[in-house]
Amino acid sequence: MSESARKFVINLVLFLLAGAGVGWLYGQTQWGLLTFALVALGWQVWQLLSFDRALRTGNFDNFRVGESLWAQLFSRFRFEHERAVRRKAGYRRLLREVRKSTDAMPDGAVILDANNEIVSCNRAVGELAGLKRKKDKGQRIDNILRNPELVALVNGGDFERSVEIPSPVQDGHWLNCRVVPYGADQKLLIIRDVTDRLRLAKMRRDFVANASHELRSPLTVISGYVDSLADDDELPSQWVKPVQQMRSQSQRMNQILRELMELSRLESSGVAANDNAIDVAQLLSDAKNTFDGQADGANIIVEAEPRLKLLGNQAEIESVVVNLLSNALRHTPPDGQICLRWQSDDGAAILSVKDTGDGIQPEHIPHLTERFFRVDRGRSRDAGGVGLGLAIVKHALLRHEATLEISSEPGNGSEFRCVFPANRVTGSSADL
Amino acid sequence: MEASDLSGHISRRFNKDIEGLRNMVLSMGGLVESQLTHAIAALVTGDSELGLKVANDDYKVNDLEVSIDEECGRILAMRAPAAGDLRLIVAVIKTITDLERIGDEAEKIGFLASKLAAMDRPSDSYRELKTLGTHVAHMVRDAMNAFARLDVDEAFKVVREDKEVDREYEAIQRQCITFMMEDPREIKRVMNVTWAARSLERIGDHAKNICEYVIYMAQGRDVRHTGISDSSDISSD
Repeated sequence: MSESARKFVINLVLFLLAGAGVGWLYGQTQWGLLTFALVALGWQVWQLLSFDRALRTGNFDNFRVGESLWAQLFSRFRFEHERAVRRKAGYRRLLREVRKSTDAMPDGAVILDANNEIVSCNRAVGELAGLKRKKDKGQRIDNILRNPELVALVNGGDFERSVEIPSPVQDGHWLNCRVVPYGADQKLLIIRDVTDRLRLAKMRRDFVANASHELRSPLTVISGYVDSLADDDELPSQWVKPVQQMRSQSQRMNQILRELMELSRLESSGVAANDNAIDVAQLLSDAKNTFDGQADGANIIVEAEPRLKLLGNQAEIESVVVNLLSNALRHTPPDGQICLRWQSDDGAAILSVKDTGDGIQPEHIPHLTERFFRVDRGRSRDAGGVGLGLAIVKHALLRHEATLEISSEPGNGSEFRCVFPANRVTGSSADL
Repeated sequence: MEASDLSGHISRRFNKDIEGLRNMVLSMGGLVESQLTHAIAALVTGDSELGLKVANDDYKVNDLEVSIDEECGRILAMRAPAAGDLRLIVAVIKTITDLERIGDEAEKIGFLASKLAAMDRPSDSYRELKTLGTHVAHMVRDAMNAFARLDVDEAFKVVREDKEVDREYEAIQRQCITFMMEDPREIKRVMNVTWAARSLERIGDHAKNICEYVIYMAQGRDVRHTGISDSSDISSD
């Protein structure tokens, strides 16, 4: 009990005792006590009422800082009140600053709750995606941004992914969207305008395609003359070897250009159609027969589920198989073994090419699908690779919504696995 | 006490049903929108693969229509909704029919795009079709936005825009007739262009219908076949 509270109780008891004393003098103890008690009650009620009035009107002049309990109560109240007001103003200022800074951001940000309803968003979202800040609060984000890919992203649990969707407001603009979870069940949707980046990528693709195309016609002329020179019996003997080399190099250049053009075609087209069922088992055994004919190649084994079919583009899957197989042959000694496998795996399907070759150092694996990447510059050029094979494989697989997984142990061989999603597969044992 | 608890519970579930129905319609709208944009892109860029993909994916729209229809029937039977809720269900039943038709027209455009891709392309690469297509795609998008936000002003805007689309369609038709008269060998190709334009124009009509249902849903007034001037009066109040 505080000092003033104790004083308050003592005063009250003394006052009531005094009342009882006065009453006793007149021989009416209980009446004296009652009268003084009523007076004390009246005084407290009066204090309470004026405190209430002061609270309502905000005019605290009647209460002065003093020793009494009411004055103490009031001054403590006033202190807390003023502190709360100050704190509130501080918070408000902070909030305003935060809001200003999020509004200044060029990227759009939307805060979503557990039901994907919009809690708040910054100004950029309005310009990028047409969200209305006041009107759309509480709406589900997938009711406003209805692009199926974005809806799948927001409702799915995979927050590593990002999708690119056409802007619903600005024609020709593309938005990159990603979802970051935070707090309890809250999500942040970040929207970024990537039109320039995509345009740049397209320019690069177009340039490569055009340059390859333009280089091809002069090369045709050169290789035509070189071919006829090489076949000429009257060629002076000191020129035979140079001309042979010119011929093989011009063939190589031709192949590079062909593969570059193929690559840019794959890159610039979207997802492959899925109305054509490919007999992968047949395709694999055809590939085996083609390569078996070559001398000093490794032994090729095919293990395929004959009923399992892949939905996609036949020519592209063929080039995936041929590229992976010729890569494997190039890196496997003649006494080695290459296994082509085609099997279903929990709805999905896996096309795997496994060899017992020299393997790949782990630090090189992430770079394998880059254009013209070579693990060993000198060696693989002699072996005849162009350096675009795996890039073509990667892009052909992308068009089939598939992923390429590479695992390798140096010295023991490598495995290239193409994993096709369930919607690209028919006739698997799971369907039957 | 117990009774009020019970009704509160039912109404919460009911709210959830209605909310779920709205979400389904809007996700169907999103699918139709993307089908339409893909179809137009296939038409304008001559991408036959994309065109065929659109045509093959139409079943997804149809499936959604069937399941939303079932859901509407279930809500009507179980909840016997009244007033605004009933209007919503009625509007949803009509909206999905129009959305499904838009999906069908997009499918048609996809087919035509794959056919046109195999033929000679005019020097302007179907610029008029692109303009009309973009316009119509915006109408569908705005119609779905109006549906999501129950935005009557936006809905009226789309209703009015349909006139513009009709004019553009007429211009394309005239142009096509001229082409056919100039060079009868082009008739086969130009006929396909006319069909595509016709489909786009129909999509504009369907978007307009959806907006009329939105107005009905929000205000309970039927503005079909009433002409724009009357409608504007309603929108102001």
